[in-house]
Amino acid sequence: MEHDPFKWGRPDNATYGDYDYRISNAKNTEFPSMHTQQPIVTGTSVIAIKYKNGIVMAADNLGSYGSLARFSNIERLIPVGKDTVVGISGDISDLQYIERALDELEVENDYDGASHPFKANHIHEYLNKLLYQRRSKLNPLWNAVVVAGINSDNEPFLAHNDLLGVQFSSPTLATGFGAHLAIPLLRKVADKEEDVAHVTKEQAREAILQSMKVLFYRDARSSNRFSLVTIDKDTGISFEKDLKVENMSWKYAETIKGYGNLQKF
Amino acid sequence: MSNTIASEYGHTDTSVPIEHRFNPYSDNGGTILGIAGEDFAVLAGDTRHTSGYSINSRFQPKIMDLGDDLVMSANGFSADGDALIRSFQQQLTWYHFNNQNKKLRPSSAARLIQHLLYGHRFFPYYVHTIIAGLDEEGKGAIYSFDPVGSYEREQCRAGGAAASLIMPFLDNQVNFKNQYDPATGQARLKTYLKLDEVLNLVRDAFTSATERHIEVGDCLQIKIITKEGVREEFYPLKRD
Amino acid sequence: MSDPSSINGGAAVAMVGKDCVAIACDLRLGNQSLGVANNFEKIFNYDHTFLALTGLASDVTTLSEVFRLKTNLYKMREERSIEPETFANLVSSTLYQKRFGPYFIGPLVAGINSLTGKPFVCGFDLIGCIDYAKDFVVSGTATDQLYGMCESLYEPGLGPDDLFETISQAFLSAVDRDALSGWGAVVYVITKDKVTKRLLKTRQD
Repeated sequence: MEHDPFKWGRPDNATYGDYDYRISNAKNTEFPSMHTQQPIVTGTSVIAIKYKNGIVMAADNLGSYGSLARFSNIERLIPVGKDTVVGISGDISDLQYIERALDELEVENDYDGASHPFKANHIHEYLNKLLYQRRSKLNPLWNAVVVAGINSDNEPFLAHNDLLGVQFSSPTLATGFGAHLAIPLLRKVADKEEDVAHVTKEQAREAILQSMKVLFYRDARSSNRFSLVTIDKDTGISFEKDLKVENMSWKYAETIKGYGNLQKF
Repeated sequence: MSNTIASEYGHTDTSVPIEHRFNPYSDNGGTILGIAGEDFAVLAGDTRHTSGYSINSRFQPKIMDLGDDLVMSANGFSADGDALIRSFQQQLTWYHFNNQNKKLRPSSAARLIQHLLYGHRFFPYYVHTIIAGLDEEGKGAIYSFDPVGSYEREQCRAGGAAASLIMPFLDNQVNFKNQYDPATGQARLKTYLKLDEVLNLVRDAFTSATERHIEVGDCLQIKIITKEGVREEFYPLKRD
Repeated sequence: MSDPSSINGGAAVAMVGKDCVAIACDLRLGNQSLGVANNFEKIFNYDHTFLALTGLASDVTTLSEVFRLKTNLYKMREERSIEPETFANLVSSTLYQKRFGPYFIGPLVAGINSLTGKPFVCGFDLIGCIDYAKDFVVSGTATDQLYGMCESLYEPGLGPDDLFETISQAFLSAVDRDALSGWGAVVYVITKDKVTKRLLKTRQD
């Protein structure tokens, strides 16, 4: 036995031969499994608001790699079935995993031809279980998800779900920066559930467009190109892709030194 | 050994980067309160759902009707709260299948919840749980639990974010603690409160908690259990 | 629990009534969970101005003496007693002088202005930020419990007797839910021409 205080109690080399350092120095290149400990390529806010007959939701098309605007054509509003759209922010590879999981779910549900289509509340519940299960394995899907659509009672349905499995519902929802910048604007239009009955599709759409503009102004990880979706009880899902933030005003920048044209000062 | 960070003699190498670990818990605020009366019980909670300083939802009710004249709420980390209530409901369904739809008593429900919570002893459900119902004699029953399943039947209990604000108020106004009869100088006798008195206490407790706690507010949900069944009332709270 | 402000434990509250104020404190002095003394008063008066000090017991004693010195000097220069409002500013500036090495205390000031007859209470954080309150101020390890009690029991415009009952009920129920406070309580009810000090019988656990 070794009596050196730093190796005390270990088998000594004279008796047992040299310790095989190849074991502890073995290359750690192949892990038995990898857990997501941080997001890599990320999507920023998803925002949504209910109106009288449905929901308007939007998300931009940027995939950021840290502060680098890495991908400019990422679609983060994913339709599931005939009356649900899932808006996903956070890690893009986990987004694509969720996309495949939902696709698989749909195929599994539809292939026998017996028509029991998924409604928005079913999709939300499935995602909640998936996210909570993964957080409980300490291997989270690094996303915040907004599920928008029509539920089994044929009413507009809007709910939020995150990487911890925390779930909630509100007439206005937003993930990430949107929760700070867009929610106050959206709640001016629909604060309580009772207000929703008085909100028109046009008002809801206008509020979302304004919020996307504010987010582009102040969220450094956002882009001016985004997708918007309207889910209506009667007319179903209609996508508007390749939208751009319009009517921006940078006038305030003129008065700030170092913000606009330096030559002016 | 390049990745040894500490020797047996407590020499710590501080230049090694600290490992960042995923934190599976969060706190979603809110507070709950249960009071048992002679022939009724109430379980109340606010409907605000928060993350840090953000209000996620102003209306996310957390008092659940379980059937069998039982109501339940698990306040704290809402994902765990929802999961706990769901697994209880599943167990209850199986209980009905196996026992000819026999009604589950609050005492049995309490013991089951203890097992559900203790089953997660080493990765706990981060919640303060309260159930309310009527016992075999028709008397109001409140059971409250800690996150790992210790439980007790009580006359009243506050749980969650503002529990420390509400609980002493309940001691004073429900159990008459520190109250003395001026005529005799003896401690004021314990009596059952009437339902309308209890409802007023609940509303006062929540308006006070709303005033001083940022995670409490928006709306008050009260479920009332009597021999007629379970009834629900909502009252507005301050939204600031 | 190496937080200096909760090693010794203790709680205090002050309330405004109609032409009167009340201030109360507990009597416990502890070493973490071990109770050490049940006669540690935390309310001091500098003539008609009352000061409650909760927090680290050594700082409580030190500061009460600092303010005895300062109010005595004030009295010699001004040839009158210090008024509550003035004293509040003295407390504030004294604490802020130690901004980056503070006393671990939570002071409350209560009294009736001898010139205007106006009741006055206020509280502070440990570096002297003043909380001017119209109704009540609380301090100590039972702060949460006291806020809950006061917010639900207090009403404005109470006379001295009703104010005594209110502050006592609020205080007793609050400290009974705090392991570090209790072991006796003192309540001062202050009117323009009379100060009543009452010792309350409390739970001894």
